[in-house]
Amino acid sequence: MPFAAPLALLGLAFLPLVVAFWMLKLRRTERTVSSTLLWQRFGEDLQANAPWQRLRRSFLLLLQLLLVILLAFLAAQPFVERPATLARDLVVVVDASASMAATDVAPSRLEAAKALALDALRDLPAGGRVSVVAAGATPRVVANATADMGRVRVALAGITATPASADMGEALALASALAARAGDAQVLVATDAAFSPPKGLEVAAPVTVLQVGRERKNQAIVAFAVRSAPTAVTRSVFISVANLDLEPADERVELWGDGRLLEARDLFLDPVSRADIGIDDVPLDVRVLEARLAGDDQLALDDRAWAVVPPDRLLRILLVSEGDPYLETALSFLPNAELYGVTPADYGTGTKPELFDLVIFDAALPATLPRVPTLAIAPPRSGPLGTVTGTLEDPALGRPTPDEPLLRYVDLTTLHVAQAARLSLPAWARTVVPTAAGDPLLYTGSRDGVATGVLAFEPRRSDLPLQVAFPILVSNLVGELVGASRAPTAAVAPGSLVSLPIPSGATGLRVTRPDATTLDLAPAVTGGATATFAATEQLGIYTVTPLGLGGAGRAPSGSPGGSPAASPTAAPASSAPPSPLVVDPSAPVQFAVDLFDVGESTIAPGSAAAVERLGSAVTGNGAGGAGNDRPPARDDLWIPLAAIALAFLVLEAIIVQRDALVRMRRWLAGRLGRGGAPAPPAGSTLPRPGRPA
Amino acid sequence: MERPTPEAGNAARTARPSGGRPAFLPSAVDPTVFDEDFLRRLQRLAVLVKLPVRGGLKGGRRSVKRGQSVEFADYRDYTLGDDLRQLDWNVYARLEKLLVKLFIEEEDLTVTLLVDGSASMAHGSPDKLVFAKRAAAALGYIALAAEDRVVLASLGGRAARRRAALRGSGRAFRLLADLSAIQPAAGVTDLVAACRHALAQVTGRGVIVLISDLLDPGAERALRDLAGTGSEVIVLHVLAPDELNPTLDGDLRLVDAETGSTVDVTLDLAARDRYTERVGAWQVELAALAAKRRIAYVPLASDVPLADLVFAELRRRRVVG
Repeated sequence: MPFAAPLALLGLAFLPLVVAFWMLKLRRTERTVSSTLLWQRFGEDLQANAPWQRLRRSFLLLLQLLLVILLAFLAAQPFVERPATLARDLVVVVDASASMAATDVAPSRLEAAKALALDALRDLPAGGRVSVVAAGATPRVVANATADMGRVRVALAGITATPASADMGEALALASALAARAGDAQVLVATDAAFSPPKGLEVAAPVTVLQVGRERKNQAIVAFAVRSAPTAVTRSVFISVANLDLEPADERVELWGDGRLLEARDLFLDPVSRADIGIDDVPLDVRVLEARLAGDDQLALDDRAWAVVPPDRLLRILLVSEGDPYLETALSFLPNAELYGVTPADYGTGTKPELFDLVIFDAALPATLPRVPTLAIAPPRSGPLGTVTGTLEDPALGRPTPDEPLLRYVDLTTLHVAQAARLSLPAWARTVVPTAAGDPLLYTGSRDGVATGVLAFEPRRSDLPLQVAFPILVSNLVGELVGASRAPTAAVAPGSLVSLPIPSGATGLRVTRPDATTLDLAPAVTGGATATFAATEQLGIYTVTPLGLGGAGRAPSGSPGGSPAASPTAAPASSAPPSPLVVDPSAPVQFAVDLFDVGESTIAPGSAAAVERLGSAVTGNGAGGAGNDRPPARDDLWIPLAAIALAFLVLEAIIVQRDALVRMRRWLAGRLGRGGAPAPPAGSTLPRPGRPA
Repeated sequence: MERPTPEAGNAARTARPSGGRPAFLPSAVDPTVFDEDFLRRLQRLAVLVKLPVRGGLKGGRRSVKRGQSVEFADYRDYTLGDDLRQLDWNVYARLEKLLVKLFIEEEDLTVTLLVDGSASMAHGSPDKLVFAKRAAAALGYIALAAEDRVVLASLGGRAARRRAALRGSGRAFRLLADLSAIQPAAGVTDLVAACRHALAQVTGRGVIVLISDLLDPGAERALRDLAGTGSEVIVLHVLAPDELNPTLDGDLRLVDAETGSTVDVTLDLAARDRYTERVGAWQVELAALAAKRRIAYVPLASDVPLADLVFAELRRRRVVG
């Protein structure tokens, strides 16, 4: 048996010392007794230790000698060797995606994966180094090339499942980069393989998959939204439930509002199908809605979803225009919007644009732009919104970004523009609709923290007002510009960034997460109007409270009661009187983070072979190269030795304290009414131990 | 002259020694041995003898001899020289044979009290020697009250110091004074030699009472010697409670109070249990030997109250009655 520290075996030199202690004559206390006859006659075997020349056999001495031997062996760190099956440099990638929270293997796939990884590390060669990559939404290295197995265990134990999709491609690329630093490397991936192997990725080391997971029984809420009717009188809820199992399932869907049950529906779900539910007449006073699946499946993360009821906010839009009926009509169709109008000539200091949520300048541009969201249409001259360099006649449209949110449901392929202003793109803006030559026709951005959009042409100088796309584009534009000043009302994916507006006068924001922890945010730049929040890894409702306003504790946005500081002075374009449903900008707002990821909810284990094919050719033992001089793996033997030593110590303590144990046993026997003392000799009146005469 | 007030009388009563101390006891008598009430109770007892005795003087005990008592024993043929007053004329009238009536002779009994006065008896708590004196006093007083002859001898060294024989209850205080004078002997006591010395001074058969801790290598030999005298032998084997159930613990060097010899022992609960078991076995061996030799063997602890010893233990064993 080899030893890591053989010099420690010198501790065996303590054995003679122990024996010597036992042979030493004790310093005894003298006691005068009536006669030693009784002790000589009956106590011959009680004489424990005559001086040096005689060593009595003693179980205690044997225990102490064994204990010294064990301690010496423990200090020498014995181990046994066996061939190592892992490379010298190992990169362990632990899948921490939402599907790893499934409980088809106890206690969860993630814990089983960590246990598998720890078990596999026993085959690491002596002196091998281990890196650990936690593959969450953002992969991170939690242990880097360490030979300390304790640190590896701590790093593995610290990995928790994130309720988001893991970026396995990035994680494997990171592992590949770590493995590429060493000559003899291997990548272990502890995963359920419930993801599509990234295409085009080649890991610079052999990949071995430690697969966990067996079943695919799961039903999930994959969509949950709440909408106000155009009349703003009722609200409707939309819930979509998916059965991702190969067996049909009965599920009960519950809708909770502010902690009370509003509605429950029973669903029968076919295998691998989806069912949609619409629930109307949600009470008006409900602010937070929660959908729950009451069934029993193997992934609980996707059985709950949250939605924040969008505030019944009345948008006030000021249109500075000589008059454009197309534009006015499109704006008047917006729900919860009040349209006010003023001519460019009347626009001045008395207009108070700060009372409006959006100011639209149609072919006009004031000298001073208001500090409210602004949409400029065909700006006549250069200014902070862009530099006018000329005029574009009948420009051909370029190809916009496919996933541009402003162009959602907007088809501009048949758009013809007769005339547009040639604008150079400011630094703060991004192009939404370009021309074929690259000039921007529509761009938006945050100008000094103020949401701003610029449309380079007047709608009436194109066929846009005649197309279905026009009211949709107007709605998207207003939503983008006004919505950018509010918290998100749609569900946020876990782990994604959220841009939160900072109300005027506030110094920052305090975000209360679902687990009641708080995080204070400050604007990225001094005086900035937004702050970016990234800690959205928890599912549930987040509450954002402005700091520095003294308004913390007010009702979340959407609750009526706020009022503008002053009424708009401009004459309303519509006949509707101003509504009192105006939102206090300093009130706390809420947003929801939901999983809504069918890919993660599909917990069926994937193909481990597909993941392993990402690795390079195996270069382990027997294949030449680094594998040949790979040291063997070591199994430390200190745990059984320490256990035996502990047992010896306990046994020795029991022997030393046996008098107390015997007394306790006799006391217990006495309490239980059983006589523990031996019978007295016949005819004797002598008292016996523990019993009076 | 002022008469004593009731308060003064109460004070005088309360000034008396408590615990029934006999104010009339001579100063030579150890007051811890007896009190008046105990003596009165002892007067109702007598030392029981299973066999007829061979005494010297007329007494209250059945003798092996035929004598002048009123209790008929037997007939025998008349021979020349017999006292004609002893002829049974009624028998002669019926059978025409001359038969002489024999009557049981009643003689006194000699009770020899052998008190072990070795140094080992002075140890233990309570003191074994004090217990032995009290037991001897009780038995002696019983014998004196029954008009028996009491001989006291203390064993020490290799000899027995015999006191003058006492007879009659009036000599009780002398007996107590003799007992009080017994002191533990210095040096080693040879129980066998001392017993033999004492037995050499005993005449006739009677009752021999040995009160000892028997902590002597020749204790069994001494018992055999006592049994060989033909007297009734009673052995009161006295051991202190801490000799029966020692409380010693740890690594000790035990020093013999008589010989000064030492024994090194390491004691724990299990060892003390073994010691106690073997003391019990030793007593069983002694009891077996005593039964074989017709010796009344009474193992005792020195903390047994004297009243319990006399009125319960000794009566139960038919030593007194």
